Amino acid sequence: MTDTEKITEKQLKTLSRLARLSFTDEEMGAFGAGFKEMIDFCDGINAEIEGDASSIREVGSREIVLGELREDEVAPSLPNEKILSNVHGERGYFAVKRVVK
Amino acid sequence: MSGRIRQLSALLQSRKISAAELTDRYISRIERINPVLNAYVSNTFDEAKKNAEFADKLIAEGRATPLTGIPMALKDNICSDGHLTTCCSKILQGFRPYYDAAVWEKLRAQGAVLLGKTNMDEFAMGSASETSVYGAPKNPVDITRVTGGSSGGSAAAVKADIAAYALGSDTGGSVRQPASFCGTVGFKPTYGAVSRYGLIAYASSLDQIGPLASSVEDAALVYDAIRGKDVRDQTSVSTPRGATELETDVKVLKIGVPEEFFSEGVSDEVKTAIEAAICLFERAGAKVKRVKIPAFKVALPVYYIISCAEASSNLGRYDGIRYGYRAREFSYIDEMIVKTRTEGFGKEVKRRIMLGTYVLSSGYFDAYYKKACLLRGRIISEFDEIFKSCDVLLTPTAPTTAFALGDKSADSVTTYLSDICTVPASIAGLPAVSLPCALGKGGLPIGLQIIANRFADGLALACANFFEREAGVNAELCREVQL
Repeated sequence: MTDTEKITEKQLKTLSRLARLSFTDEEMGAFGAGFKEMIDFCDGINAEIEGDASSIREVGSREIVLGELREDEVAPSLPNEKILSNVHGERGYFAVKRVVK
Repeated sequence: MSGRIRQLSALLQSRKISAAELTDRYISRIERINPVLNAYVSNTFDEAKKNAEFADKLIAEGRATPLTGIPMALKDNICSDGHLTTCCSKILQGFRPYYDAAVWEKLRAQGAVLLGKTNMDEFAMGSASETSVYGAPKNPVDITRVTGGSSGGSAAAVKADIAAYALGSDTGGSVRQPASFCGTVGFKPTYGAVSRYGLIAYASSLDQIGPLASSVEDAALVYDAIRGKDVRDQTSVSTPRGATELETDVKVLKIGVPEEFFSEGVSDEVKTAIEAAICLFERAGAKVKRVKIPAFKVALPVYYIISCAEASSNLGRYDGIRYGYRAREFSYIDEMIVKTRTEGFGKEVKRRIMLGTYVLSSGYFDAYYKKACLLRGRIISEFDEIFKSCDVLLTPTAPTTAFALGDKSADSVTTYLSDICTVPASIAGLPAVSLPCALGKGGLPIGLQIIANRFADGLALACANFFEREAGVNAELCREVQL
């Protein structure tokens, strides 16, 4: 195993923790190979592009129009029982396992 | 050619058939054909009957529109009050939204009839609809082939006429590519032209709802009914011109043909078909010019970096607390969330969440996400430059015709390449329509893509309408599929 591959495996563990996913060691092996291929694919953004790039701006830096905001008006919200109709509702609240004792 | 919606609407309004009877006919067709195609993943027949009753009332009162009483379908990521909407994922198993998406609200008010929810790639992540937790839908033209994706079920349902039209969502080509594979019309409007309120988010800077239909006129009718500003979607805008006028003077049309769309990987039969389509416009008097989009070569990685980054954030909401699936065994809340997500998401979704987390993480943000945003700006600028001298661009929709089921499902990166022709317009937020232009080997449909400048949705559709009428291939491609 090369250094890069070792780093990738360690990174994968960190990433899965950040992404709130878990993989068994066996799954991680298979997943890692495919994941590395995806990163290689994304490295395609480093390809040389011919032509002038001087006029390019980052998308997020375009002027943001703030004139389109809605009025801040109070409107009826969805009924409690409807929101809780999907899962795990108890006495008008979402029910989860006890977090603190 | 007059589309299916016009034909059915004429029958309804002349009282040759009622909306209730028409709905029953579609329901029987679904019951007969859907077990073969797997185009629908859930039905809403009770809702359909209620909708039909309302439609008949509108017709009787003389308040009908062309969409009144027409049976249709929604992709499984578009919410409707009380009906299963699962994004074809285990994590949303059993989820019934408690409100209507803006698009369904608008259509329902016009008397549209909702037959059910259509199959798709899990969370719209795929190009063959094979990542669906319900199994892949089959292409009605050849049931050993994929429908394309991610709106594969919508395309199959329209092609097999088990829905007169359907809505899909397009993030990197998910309306256009399945339309191309199944031989239907698929339209992705300008980014922001249609409200996404009630569309379950994948990549918010790219997602757009669009119609799949049996003709350009049908697609335009549906687009006109769903477009417009909505305060509940801050990115939505009022579009300056609708698609009610489907005519354009081809003699003054300036057409650009970007050469990169015909590069390696695009099959010879697709190239030949698109060149023939370009010639048809040229013969009608349009000026055709070869153009270049040098940043085309980075479009796919830019798309995957941006869409996965946004997906990793958007899909953070699935924690098993408020809706959908929740893991059964856990001892504390963090474990519940991790287990819920690990058991609830499929492989491709996990891959994309992980990739998105990677490109947003400290140390990689600048090299991937920030760079991708800069390159997105470059792609947009290149399109802007081209649209200074061209009205529309003609390209293939997909590099090949529909491939065999199971062919590419094991290899994500190969599947990504089938989006190569649709992704550039998505990145730039441009309207683009795919329509059948020829049949390739095995009678498989080939799609022509017409891309226009932002807010020139009407022009893209008018050019498509011209081609459909002049080429006359649509009549053949839209023939009744025998199943």
